[in-house]
Amino acid sequence: MTLLSVSHLAKAYGGVPALRDASLEVEAGEAHALVGENGAGKSTLIRILAGVTEPDSGAISLDGRPAAISSAREAQRLGLRFLHQELNTLPRMSVAENLFLGRVYPRRLVPFVDWRALNARAAEALASFGVTDIAPDAVLGRLRVGDRLVVKIAATFLDDEASPGRIFVMDEPTAALNERESERLFGAIAELKKRGAAVIYVSHRIEEILSVCDRVTVLRDGVSQDAVAANDLTRASLIERMTGRSDAQAQGPTPAHAGRVALKIERLAGDGLEAISLELCKGEILGLAGLGDAGGDRLLRAIMGESATGAVALDGEPVRFRKPADAWAHGLAYVPRERRAEGLLMKHAVAANVALPHLTRLGRLGLWLDRPAERRMAENFGARVKLRATGPLQRVSKLSGGNQQKVLFARAVAGAPRVLLLDEPTRGVDIGAKYEIHTLLGEMAAEGAAILVSSSDYEELIALCPRIAILIGGRLSHVVATEGLTPQRLLEHCYGDAA
Amino acid sequence: MSAALRILRRHGTLIGVAIVLGYFWLHLPTTFVTARNLINVSQQMSMLAVVASTMTIVMAMGDFDLSVGSMASLSGVVAAVAFIAIGSIPLGVAAALAMGVVCGLANGFLVAYVGILPFIATLGAMTLLSGFAFWLSGGKTLFGGAIPRAFSDFARGGVPFGPLDATLPNLTILALVIAVVVWLFLEQTTIGRRLYAIGDNAEAARLAGVPVRALRFAAFGLSGLGAAVAGLMYASRVSSANPTQGAGLMLDSIAAVFLGQTMTEEGEPRVFATLAGVAALGLIGNGLTQMNVDSYVRDMLTGAIVIAAVAASSFGKSRAG
Repeated sequence: MTLLSVSHLAKAYGGVPALRDASLEVEAGEAHALVGENGAGKSTLIRILAGVTEPDSGAISLDGRPAAISSAREAQRLGLRFLHQELNTLPRMSVAENLFLGRVYPRRLVPFVDWRALNARAAEALASFGVTDIAPDAVLGRLRVGDRLVVKIAATFLDDEASPGRIFVMDEPTAALNERESERLFGAIAELKKRGAAVIYVSHRIEEILSVCDRVTVLRDGVSQDAVAANDLTRASLIERMTGRSDAQAQGPTPAHAGRVALKIERLAGDGLEAISLELCKGEILGLAGLGDAGGDRLLRAIMGESATGAVALDGEPVRFRKPADAWAHGLAYVPRERRAEGLLMKHAVAANVALPHLTRLGRLGLWLDRPAERRMAENFGARVKLRATGPLQRVSKLSGGNQQKVLFARAVAGAPRVLLLDEPTRGVDIGAKYEIHTLLGEMAAEGAAILVSSSDYEELIALCPRIAILIGGRLSHVVATEGLTPQRLLEHCYGDAA
Repeated sequence: MSAALRILRRHGTLIGVAIVLGYFWLHLPTTFVTARNLINVSQQMSMLAVVASTMTIVMAMGDFDLSVGSMASLSGVVAAVAFIAIGSIPLGVAAALAMGVVCGLANGFLVAYVGILPFIATLGAMTLLSGFAFWLSGGKTLFGGAIPRAFSDFARGGVPFGPLDATLPNLTILALVIAVVVWLFLEQTTIGRRLYAIGDNAEAARLAGVPVRALRFAAFGLSGLGAAVAGLMYASRVSSANPTQGAGLMLDSIAAVFLGQTMTEEGEPRVFATLAGVAALGLIGNGLTQMNVDSYVRDMLTGAIVIAAVAASSFGKSRAG
């Protein structure tokens, strides 16, 4: 019996399509995997099911009846339950309180909470999930991350009497779990299936998908493919379906002329990174690839001066950066991942944004603000990155996403950096701006800059970088040459099973 | 959004203040807009102008300093105690200023390096320093012999100003000089640009190489220095020091910065806009006093004006944003 039917959903954000044509049929009593590369549209589809995002077109039906999921409350009423990657829990409250959050607590003498009954019910709920070693009255924030997630999962499973959960959407549920905890989750999934509920399972972990799920729907570039029985799939065939390119463009960039080492990092660790050592040569563009939260972004931050331990050498000189200001002062430049939250001063003009790290150099005696010099810098480097703005005094909040990104590049390039660290350099920019940024990076490398690019866009990495360092779970796994590499092969490398 | 609403948002404060002042001018034709009265108001507001100017530095970063009133009171008390103990005006003044810088930097240390919210850190400092000022003064007003004549003479003195046939008080001149220095600092130096960058997006500023911690630390030090200067001005003006005389400065200075913010295009704290806020508060207070309005009614009106100004300038912003 088809429990949930999603047909031909489409959704675009500001003209950029996130979903083009996504359909999904989920049967009662099955675990259905939803897979795809980063940016394939999985998150958008889940947000639509959760009632957080409204689709531009397409239809959803439950039990064969059309359903309009207009709000999170409506999704809850229809029996949809969501288990997200982030832990939306209240760390200062007890396990039991978190479990029954949003529900009526058992009462005694009406206004008073019957804590004993609440804890007993919580213990019962945890036990039904096979968990007996978590005390219901423990403060959630003191538990290990894995145990916290287990509580979260149990809370999701708790039945709401009025509208019992029938479809459980799990987005990377095992990302923070160890093997034992994952087994608990799989046991719970089996239990749910037995009760006739359905599970939509989103994961990057292919073994898990193939062993836990019954059928698999692949999303690629916002378009879904027909569901396939998991038994008919192998690891390789699934990856090929996800990337859709078994041949692919094998033409990588020309191998770098090996310059001398510009940046050398040794045993950099902290913030979940495990002793990463790398060498980056002058004129080289080195890629950083990984799945999900593999640590490319954190590695760049660590180099910028946020690492706990490890050594950094610049042109052979040992340096010690204690904050990003030190790194900029030594000729490093950094383009952060989130351009609005981490990059731009939205209330300020283009000129102020471009000049920010270079103020000391621009100022007379390092102190007096030289506005004409600041404007000239923004004009020169704005032209260099092909920025389209009305002028250096235009506010960045008035620019398009692509041009905002170019402001960050103008900022990075303006210091004539020896080393350029880029986190998702073209995320959310249009094709034209992306091409111009890639061209710029090629020019910078030709001029001798050493460039480190972390990206979840594999085609971008293959197009830009002669070599790509593969990160797995905060650890540097190996470095691959991109010559002849396809996105599919790169994905296999990121899964850690390509030789 | 309609044009009228846009004008209200952008210029509402100026229009409102102009209407109120126009009303006073009409009803107090001989005593409100006179050189003598305006100079008098400027002298009364000079302490507030200094504190509000240095408060603008802190608020440019998006923080604020609740301890300025206590620091100003303590500054006067420290100076008076030093005058008694040492008998030297320069040393007494230096002790008071040093106290202000040290207390301000202590606030800055708590906020920037320990990571306490400015609200909590400076609220604690406010209480602590106020208690310290009481203890140091023995809970009494220090006056008479404690305050050297030459020190009080400063506030009484002035510079003749020909065109108006009047004397510009030293306190007014000092406040203007400090406001101009703060303006130079905030608007014309690379440090000021960095402070505004922190106020816009602290994380982005940090990642772009702005030493956020050091600057927050230093900015609170300047706020302490401004408060200490204001405390000395106050002590000089009233020839005495008591542990509560700066108490009113904290709320009024924050109100002045907010009021000024509503008059700027970006809604950011700008020091001359702050001065306009100080002037508006001073003139409205003066007009109400002259019309024999009770001081508690004056407080009610001042509070209402600040709320109305900020409300007018943020009207529709929440939906637009």
